[in-house]
Amino acid sequence: MRAFTAVFVARYRQFIRDRAALFFSFIFPIIFILLFGWAFQNMGTQTFKIGLADEGSPQTTAYITLGLNSVILEGNQKMFKTQSGNLDDLRASLEKGNLDAVIDIPAGMDTLGPGESDNVQVYYDASQTVNQQVLIPALSQVINAIDERLGSYTPPIGMNQQSVQTHELRYIDFLLPGILGMTLMFIGVQGGLPVIQQRQAHIIKRLGSTPLRRSTLVLGDLLFRMIVILASAALIILVGRLVFDVRMVGNWLSLCGIILLGSLVFVSLGYLIAALVKTQESAIPVVQIVNLPMMILSGTFFSVASMPAFIEPVIKILPLTYLNDALRQIMVAGTPLHSMTTDIAVLAAWAVSCLAITIRFFQWD
Amino acid sequence: MDVSPNKVIEVTNLVKSYGSVKAVNQISFEVSQGEVFGMLGPNGAGKTTTVEIVEGLRTADSGSATVLGMDVSKDTRAVKERVGVQSQSPALFPGLKVREIITFFRSLYKKSVPTTQIIELAALQESKDVLFRNLSGGQQQRLSVALAFVNDPEIIFLDEPTTGLDPQARRAMWEVIESFRRAGKTVVLTTHYMEEAQRLCDRIAIMDYGQIIALDSPQRLIDSNIKESAIQFKMKEYPGDQALTSLPDVSKVVREGDDVIVYTNNIPSAISGLLGMASQRSAELSELSVRQATLEDVFLKLTGKRIRD
Repeated sequence: MRAFTAVFVARYRQFIRDRAALFFSFIFPIIFILLFGWAFQNMGTQTFKIGLADEGSPQTTAYITLGLNSVILEGNQKMFKTQSGNLDDLRASLEKGNLDAVIDIPAGMDTLGPGESDNVQVYYDASQTVNQQVLIPALSQVINAIDERLGSYTPPIGMNQQSVQTHELRYIDFLLPGILGMTLMFIGVQGGLPVIQQRQAHIIKRLGSTPLRRSTLVLGDLLFRMIVILASAALIILVGRLVFDVRMVGNWLSLCGIILLGSLVFVSLGYLIAALVKTQESAIPVVQIVNLPMMILSGTFFSVASMPAFIEPVIKILPLTYLNDALRQIMVAGTPLHSMTTDIAVLAAWAVSCLAITIRFFQWD
Repeated sequence: MDVSPNKVIEVTNLVKSYGSVKAVNQISFEVSQGEVFGMLGPNGAGKTTTVEIVEGLRTADSGSATVLGMDVSKDTRAVKERVGVQSQSPALFPGLKVREIITFFRSLYKKSVPTTQIIELAALQESKDVLFRNLSGGQQQRLSVALAFVNDPEIIFLDEPTTGLDPQARRAMWEVIESFRRAGKTVVLTTHYMEEAQRLCDRIAIMDYGQIIALDSPQRLIDSNIKESAIQFKMKEYPGDQALTSLPDVSKVVREGDDVIVYTNNIPSAISGLLGMASQRSAELSELSVRQATLEDVFLKLTGKRIRD
């Protein structure tokens, strides 16, 4: 226990004296929030015209209509204006620019049993930035909320509907969980670097000649990093709340759970890099190759749905995609954990695989 | 092999291979309590691997290493509690202060000496609140060595402890090692400095190609390997190698700058021959000295290499 405390304190002291680590853990995410938050402050006050094509699922169509109509913006203005019609007519209006999006609700959605699922198809003009950044995320949140309600057989007016009703959906609401996810990734993956540096300088070897157990060394390091991650997350949420009035509508414990799971994934990924890369000089570009694509592709700044189809397979394997989605669902829609089993399963699979490969290949000197 | 209680290290038939290279090949030796045991050898001779197996940092392929009566491969942590290790690389946490690093290492052991004592040992009283990365190379080295004493060890392993130290700090380090030995404790020393090995070590193992090729006290190593003495002098109007080797009892002549070194088995005969030749040619002979062959000469003879590559 004394050794554990010593490892923890040593990590803490090194961290507070490491300006780069401090910057990436605390300052960098806040700069992003302020920059993007102010730049896109007025996005989301616009009303979108949505066409709904019911192809034989009236109940689902009614839910979606109700859901869309319940999103209220500042000044008591509705975010969505809905109209129904047949798919071909609506798509023609979309192409002329009279509609912002068309939702095609296929037959059979009303009669889905538990565990079954089907997708509604959303048509929209992806060349409009505002569609990518506001419309699609807002739509997917409404539909998530409805999904949630249908899946758990709760009556039409439930908690989730209220959260959608009372809360405005702005870009910053979409952005903040993404920044949180991205920051967890940065802190986690970056953490492989000091490990490599200490191994390269034979510090780990020197520690190996003392009675210090390697497990104590790893656990002390891990606990410290988890605390940094939680502190950074708290700061991000606090700044979001104080500056932009971003509300966390979900369960705080669920949020902590997902933050810890996500951190575990990226901390493991950092260790994995330390297991496979020998020198710090070559590890820095590797860290960037891991971080940058995820930062752009995994729905941090733009909805994943707005990405071109050919990148989709890539997006679908990146862990940050699932972490961002899970964080967003909890923070914006208040979705409970049991309704995001895919996210949790994929993240857990990433963590387990990274740790397994790390244990197989990691060398202490 | 007698199992007397004061054998603190017993190594038997140690083997360690890396791929097809036998880094350590059937090594056996013993170290007694209170002894300063030196290990010399060219780079890649297997010194570090041997020492690291004894320290519990590596496992041997076969053979056994017993430290303070414990099998290193089984009671590894118990051994580590009671030995101190200074590794060749002095690097420690760059972002921690001297005092904090000592505190950190102290808390890894059940038993430890006060922080101030380690600071004194490293002669870093003025720098105890300086970050490790801001210390000079010599200061880092001193801290690295002093930390090996943090758990009040019974045996201390020092790997090139005075590399990078100025002569004064080197002599201070020798004092530390000697006083440690006077306290009845044991030192295993790896070094490149012959003067250091000769002065500090009770016995020296010379290693090459993974084996111990000679093991004895420094003086006996010299006596048994090199019988000749060296006569060193300066001479104006150098008469040529030929003239010198033709003198009685001179076996070899070496010139190092202005200095001439003549090796002989019979000092009086060689000197009188030399003086006779000097007066005959009225050549000026100065700075004449007679010295014994050194460990460096032994090392050169046994391994065919100079110790500092």
